[in-house]
Amino acid sequence: MSEAVRPGIPRPATPLRLPAFWVVVTLLATGAVRMSQILARFLESYPLATITALGLFALLAVPFWLFVQELDFLEREPAGLLAVAFAWGGLVATSVSIPGSTALENLIAKLGSPGLAADWGAALAGPTVEEIAKTLGVVAIVLIARSQVNSVLDGVVYGALVGLGFQIVEDIVFAIGAVALAGQGDEIQPVITTFLVRGFLAGVWSHTLFGALAGAGIGYLVVGTDRGWCRRITMAGLALSGAWASHVLWNSPLFREGLGNGAVALLAVLVFKGLPPLLLILHLVRRAHDREAEYYVARLAGLGDPEVITEGELRALGSGSRRAAARRHAAERAGRKARATVRRLQRAQARLAVELSRAPELADRHQAEVREHRATLRALGHPEAVEGIHSWRHTASAVGTAAVAIAVLWVALSALGGA
Amino acid sequence: MGTVTRRHLTDLPSTPGLLSALLLATVLAALSFGLPALDRGVSAQRGLRAGEPYRVAAGVTVVPPAGATLDVTGTRPGEDRGTALFRLGRVRYAIAVQPFSGDLTQAAVRLRQRITGTSGYQVTGTQLAVSTAGGLAGLQGGYTAGDRGGRYAVFVAHGLTIEVTVSGAGLDLDHTLPAIDASTRTLRYEGGR
Repeated sequence: MSEAVRPGIPRPATPLRLPAFWVVVTLLATGAVRMSQILARFLESYPLATITALGLFALLAVPFWLFVQELDFLEREPAGLLAVAFAWGGLVATSVSIPGSTALENLIAKLGSPGLAADWGAALAGPTVEEIAKTLGVVAIVLIARSQVNSVLDGVVYGALVGLGFQIVEDIVFAIGAVALAGQGDEIQPVITTFLVRGFLAGVWSHTLFGALAGAGIGYLVVGTDRGWCRRITMAGLALSGAWASHVLWNSPLFREGLGNGAVALLAVLVFKGLPPLLLILHLVRRAHDREAEYYVARLAGLGDPEVITEGELRALGSGSRRAAARRHAAERAGRKARATVRRLQRAQARLAVELSRAPELADRHQAEVREHRATLRALGHPEAVEGIHSWRHTASAVGTAAVAIAVLWVALSALGGA
Repeated sequence: MGTVTRRHLTDLPSTPGLLSALLLATVLAALSFGLPALDRGVSAQRGLRAGEPYRVAAGVTVVPPAGATLDVTGTRPGEDRGTALFRLGRVRYAIAVQPFSGDLTQAAVRLRQRITGTSGYQVTGTQLAVSTAGGLAGLQGGYTAGDRGGRYAVFVAHGLTIEVTVSGAGLDLDHTLPAIDASTRTLRYEGGR
């Protein structure tokens, strides 16, 4: 089996000397100007609705961003590059997609028929232009910081953030479009409805997910050096096609007729059109995550030093849920300070693992950091950052939260289905 | 294990140069400028049979004015909603049909607010009652946008709102409005959604 990770170089060169960096900066600046003009028009016509949309959808970005950050726990990507990926999605991909998708939909109407464009225009034009424009964002990251893309998971992370940036800006544009269409003036009700539909109900199976899949393909193309070019290009193409197909399915008119207009019908559409790609992509992302985690945990296991990492901690470090369980266990046994220290220990262990993969001779500093956190934990009476016994309180809390979420979702579905 | 070099990381060309970045910018340009250029290069106008009703959407039909063409870029038929865009020279004649649960006054307010919500657009004069040969009752009025003038009309029937907007330069509009008004009066709900 091939290595899951191609280690980066210890001290990557600054991208400022790369011509590609300045091309990307120019593209971002052009996108920023274009989207600022659109935002200024929105603010002039519907100031309250625009500010509400900006606030709500900015909040919506937070859980997505945190999820991606947790995926990225072991080998963290530089914040600047994450911001570039997000900005590419929100500024470049959107400003390219607005004229491109409209033109393609027009061409479908001209070369096909207005009926074909009414049924399939949004399903074919949007995904075709948008998925290409977003995937180019991950390519841009490779061009300016190739040494940072050293696993398939890195491609997933950058792709997801490009998709998130696109999703947030597109949602804001749709929300203000709904305000204009409603013809009620500067009202926030259409913004709230758009937030519920596009943010809550449709948000999970949207651009972040499609971007993650296409990004995985670019990640594979870059790091799968033990495979031939033909296979790598094919796999990247398949990933992009998968993202496109998921997007087409979501936008398609399938299941639109025949299920009525109620909450059950809406739920059925979400499940049939959204759930299969969601489960498939989450499975692929999980595999990419686990392969990367295995690689880095093996670097730490190779040290054979329980002061740096114990057997139980090796098991916990490779999984997001187990890392969280270890932090909860620390809080239950030794308080909030222990919880924070466990998080710091886990971060230090992750940094050490990455340094061991890149330049073992430079890893002493990180070993010292790990030992320092270990000493703090020991002083707090909780020497090992491992999961505790599964507590009924946590299970009850998870079940309760899920029940509340389903109830909120059902109320929203009923309100929207009945509207 | 020695220090890892760039060559160990990937077998992509050693310097991701200007060429790759320009290729990326070219693909973006093709999407944002090339597709619209291609779109402009293909005619959107389709001929219409004179005097024959055109099915807009949701069972609503209209007889387009003589000499009008159908602009397929603004035409989207549908079972429960849709739009049709006709052109008479440089005058734009659009009809939009969609589900609506309010009354005629609410529909008119909504349309007027949408018109005035566009920067530079102002509603002029008073609203007048209008009716079609098929028995639809509605309201109509006018608006301006710089050197362009416009007319609007709105009808509510069978749980639908039918919005008509006409726009064009002053002189063109004056020449075509009688034919467009006559066409608007042929709006009919034929059912069969």
